[in-house]
Amino acid sequence: MSRRARPGALASLLLLAALLAPAWCAARQYLQLFVTEPYLELHTGPGRGYPVFHVVPRDESIDVLFRRTDWFKVRTEHGVEGWASQKDMEKTILADGSQFHFNLGDRAGFTSHTFEAGIFAGAYGGASLVSGYASWSFNSQLALEGALGGFYGRFSNGYTGDIGLAHVLMPEKRWSPFLTLGIGEVYTEPKATLVVPANRNEPTAYVGGGIRFYLTRRFFLRAEYKAHWVFTKRNQNEEADEWKAGFAFFF
Amino acid sequence: MESWIRVLLLSAVLAALTGCASVRNWFHHGSAQNGAAADQSVDQNAPPPRVIEPEVARRQVKVPRIRSSNFELGADYGVLSIEDFGAHPSYGFTLAYHITEDFFFQGEWGRARGGQTSFETLSGIQLLTEAERRFTYYDVSLGYNFLPGEAFIGRGIAMTSAMYFLGGVGGTEFGGDTKFTVNFGAGYRIVPADWLALHITVQDHVFQSSLLGTTKLTNNLEARIGTTVFF
Repeated sequence: MSRRARPGALASLLLLAALLAPAWCAARQYLQLFVTEPYLELHTGPGRGYPVFHVVPRDESIDVLFRRTDWFKVRTEHGVEGWASQKDMEKTILADGSQFHFNLGDRAGFTSHTFEAGIFAGAYGGASLVSGYASWSFNSQLALEGALGGFYGRFSNGYTGDIGLAHVLMPEKRWSPFLTLGIGEVYTEPKATLVVPANRNEPTAYVGGGIRFYLTRRFFLRAEYKAHWVFTKRNQNEEADEWKAGFAFFF
Repeated sequence: MESWIRVLLLSAVLAALTGCASVRNWFHHGSAQNGAAADQSVDQNAPPPRVIEPEVARRQVKVPRIRSSNFELGADYGVLSIEDFGAHPSYGFTLAYHITEDFFFQGEWGRARGGQTSFETLSGIQLLTEAERRFTYYDVSLGYNFLPGEAFIGRGIAMTSAMYFLGGVGGTEFGGDTKFTVNFGAGYRIVPADWLALHITVQDHVFQSSLLGTTKLTNNLEARIGTTVFF
């Protein structure tokens, strides 16, 4: 199996490179900016630890090639290419004289945004949980959320999927609590040594709450609790507690 | 003769008239302006003078979208030491998203094939089927870049580089079961071109296993080299 998969993987990588190559080669229109400070420092790499190797003097122009995190790869009039930080780039101007501004995310965006997603680690009904979520906001307080998770326990493994609404209380605060309500599905693969029960798929409903904490730019921490009711075909419904915490970002 | 003189005189009058018309302003220029100024000062209710519209349009800058290049996708190949089941070749894929210059998220998927335990080799009894020997892991990790620097080849080539720590959670399928797995490790990334990176990574996949009778934490160390493309 692995012997056959390896050339397949290589082939798919080559195919990917071939597909992406035209995009790299295509002629692009770059943003032109003018240096207004005494000089603009260019680093060898996209990070504060990489040394400054060139400075662009005042009134010279630069072309912005692309961005990686909060660093911009720029090309000077003389063809020198290097990395400038977003903080320094904000001091340059456009050809019409207006200040260059690039929004990498701020508290205002944290309060009011359209899309967010994140990954979590936690516990689901006593089993270890790895999960991710995505959410679409109607306004700063109400959002539609979907979450997918995999849990690994001593007695069973399985997957969970949820969809529901989240209501953010005090979205303008750095620490903002929220409440959730929704429905879902849980797929369980029980483990047993003698009699192996069949895998089962069961509908669930949940209510929960949590807190989110704005970190920087587009990123925040999110911790939450969900109380799940699992509607089984047996005599009694089951309950499962879900605790999780993780990183999330918004757009 | 008479008509000839008449034509001559008429031509002279015509020339004089057009000539006077063209030089009329030479003599009356100042007075005409004074008159206009006088008119303006007298007529207070006249509309204000029209502002001359500049014929040069204001420059409109269309800001092109700045392409971002925060994702890193790649494949790797290495050796995975599965505790009690020997070290065997492994291969996998990674997808990373760079959040800041310091931190990145990374999703990893990898696969290897476990060998035989010493018990199996000695006794000839097979504990696992061939399908159960397939070791597959998938996890999400948070990475932290440190020790940024440059690597040099000869006099002309400099490549940026960095070390990074990795730590995360995920699952591992092995021995007919899927286990919650914690991973941690470190790597070295060298970037020969803006779109290309080479990696050397050492990562430990830790999970609880009870395949050999007792429940214990197993450490499954993996060393791999990989190549990724930024997009």
